[in-house]
Amino acid sequence: MNKSSTHAFVNKLLVYTVLTIGFNGTVGLGTVWMRHQIAETAAATKQHENRLAAVERRLAETTSRLAAEQSPDKLEAKNVSVNLGLVRPEESRIVRIEESPEERLAAKRNLEIFATDVEGDFASVQFKRHVQQPL
Amino acid sequence: MSKGFASSYRLVLLATTVLLCFAGVGARLVQLHVLDRARLVSYVDRARRTVETDRARRGDILDARGDVLATSRPLVQLAVDPWALEEYIEHVAKHNADRAVALESIERRKRIALAQILAMPLGDLEEFWKPDWRKVDPELDSRDGLRDGRIKSRWVKLDEGVTESVFNKIRGINVSDVDEPEDQISAVYKGLPRGLTISRHYEREYPLNRLAAHVIGFMNREDEASGGVEAFADFYLRGQDGWRESEKDGRRRELAQFRTRQVPASDGYQVVLSIDSVVQHLIESELAMMAETYKPEKATIIVSDAKSGFLLGMANYPTYDLNHYTEVKLEVQRNTAVTDLIDPGSTFKIVAASGALEDGLVTPSTRFNCSIASIEYKGRVRRFMPDEHTYHHPLSVAEIISQSSNIGAAQLGMRLGEQRMYDYARQFGFGEKSGFPLGYESKGLLNTPDKWSALEITRIPAGYSISATPIQIHYAMASIASDGALLKPQLIREIRAASGESIYNFGGVTRRRVMKPQVARAMAQMLRGVTQIGTGRDAAIDGYQIAGKTGTAQKLIDGKYSKRHHVGSFVGFFPASAPEVVVTVIVDDAKVEGGTNYGSKVAVPAFRRVAKGLISYLDIKPVEEITTQPLLALEGGRR
Repeated sequence: MNKSSTHAFVNKLLVYTVLTIGFNGTVGLGTVWMRHQIAETAAATKQHENRLAAVERRLAETTSRLAAEQSPDKLEAKNVSVNLGLVRPEESRIVRIEESPEERLAAKRNLEIFATDVEGDFASVQFKRHVQQPL
Repeated sequence: MSKGFASSYRLVLLATTVLLCFAGVGARLVQLHVLDRARLVSYVDRARRTVETDRARRGDILDARGDVLATSRPLVQLAVDPWALEEYIEHVAKHNADRAVALESIERRKRIALAQILAMPLGDLEEFWKPDWRKVDPELDSRDGLRDGRIKSRWVKLDEGVTESVFNKIRGINVSDVDEPEDQISAVYKGLPRGLTISRHYEREYPLNRLAAHVIGFMNREDEASGGVEAFADFYLRGQDGWRESEKDGRRRELAQFRTRQVPASDGYQVVLSIDSVVQHLIESELAMMAETYKPEKATIIVSDAKSGFLLGMANYPTYDLNHYTEVKLEVQRNTAVTDLIDPGSTFKIVAASGALEDGLVTPSTRFNCSIASIEYKGRVRRFMPDEHTYHHPLSVAEIISQSSNIGAAQLGMRLGEQRMYDYARQFGFGEKSGFPLGYESKGLLNTPDKWSALEITRIPAGYSISATPIQIHYAMASIASDGALLKPQLIREIRAASGESIYNFGGVTRRRVMKPQVARAMAQMLRGVTQIGTGRDAAIDGYQIAGKTGTAQKLIDGKYSKRHHVGSFVGFFPASAPEVVVTVIVDDAKVEGGTNYGSKVAVPAFRRVAKGLISYLDIKPVEEITTQPLLALEGGRR
């Protein structure tokens, strides 16, 4: 091997080495940055998980307290302490309405509308129920 | 590049150095990864790897209205490492004595705040921070490097469990100067006192305390289901713990980016019962009132839906608070409605009457002489159990039921014969388990006819010489209310996911047909006579057709039927023509003035009060005109 070709080979080797180091450094730094991003994302996800778990725990605790407050014993005690005077309904105090309450209330409302005195030139209108004759 | 640098001597030297470096690195890698691998991997695993369990929350038990009967409440267990503070202060004092004094003062102020939050005297709290030693086997003692038979006590339980809201207060402890801006307060002044450690867990809680205690069951201290729905539906309720494998840093905090495997916890399903907490409260209040008035040994009330067999309420006296189950004896925790045997007494007369009607041997108007003391049956004279009353005319089958005649029932049994009587008793569910889902059910006592003595054909039709559980008696009557079908006792209506999505719905189950629908309807009308002209007149409610049967059985004490100790009962349903609910009231050994406790005196009034409560709550409409006028009349929607 002559000297000039050796120099050329060494020079090339050094250039390639520098390039390789530069490339590897870039890849390394990229990897570090990527890992850092992964770590940050994982930490953020974990934080969200923890907050979600905390909310679920609060929810469970609230459910438990709410259920305890709604227990018949507590409600009866509250009925006495607040002097509400609520008692169980007796059959003799119950009036059962057989007709549909919606229809009855609608009829009552319509009656009030049409019973109002109409002033001015408006003619009074009467509605008649149309009954279809059998064929 | 100069020629000198690239001389072959320097080139060889550089190459050799690089190669040696690589060889050195390679040798070290071989040492670390091959030779010392096992030791190092184990060290790294111990130091960094962590497997954390993610606890699943046990599912709730709900009633038919969605009210919570059992739930899991998150709690934070507090414990103290008494050495942590001392070691920390010693460590700081080595470098900065003033800082150590300041830190000690800060930590004391934190403990004062903690004592206030926990409502605990400061002196008591300070005891937990006093370093102590724990004795260990000297052979096994190497944890602190000394084999002196003692190690530092690193864990002292401070509180079994505080709620999340209390823990948030502890976490928010801030003992800095109040005038200091929030963002400038050092972390040292905030947060948990040094040495305080926490662990989270769920505690089973029963918000309604003693309501439906025997049905729900409880979770014991070992977190094992004990009895009731808790044990029966444990598979659905318990859920599946999750876990995650990860790495931790020097302060034992998880490094989430190194999570390798993760299985999320799957919370338990919710179990929805057919029990209605309002109905349950109604019958438990009634039991409490009966207990106060009559001081019975035991009492049971059962309410079920007549069409589907679903239980709406089941209560026993004595009962207990599920949150304090350790304070009562084991026998109080027993669901006597399914475990304890009683003689059904006159309520069993429905079996002989239904059987005779079903086989076409009698009609409701067929009459029997019920004023005789004995009768010849299969060539032998059999003595009857005496009736309370003497009858001057032969009683019809309907009257035998309404007047509860033992002699009449025995003659109905004789018409059927031993084998058919036995067959019908089995058909009605006596002598076999009812299929009630919660365990420990007794199947009762009903001998086969070949084991009957000569007298038993006069005793069994009247409800003696056999034993049954309250639930068997209840469902035997329910078979008449459901047009002759024997229903399976059902308690669980639905299984729901934690998200509320329905997983499975349960429906009514018919075990078998006991009698034809027309026979059941005839029986219902005869049982109505009990509350019209018979022994259960006090159960009648205006406008409602109440059908039922009273029962009074003498208790068997020391092998003899006692005349002072009775089991009184009333089993009924309404409205008789279109049954909606079946109610059973059984009172064991009530103390009644005069020494007797017939079902009609104790159980019937209780039945009536329960029935009236059910009518208004379940909106059961009257089937007949109510003769008493309502107290408040509304007309046209206006007062």
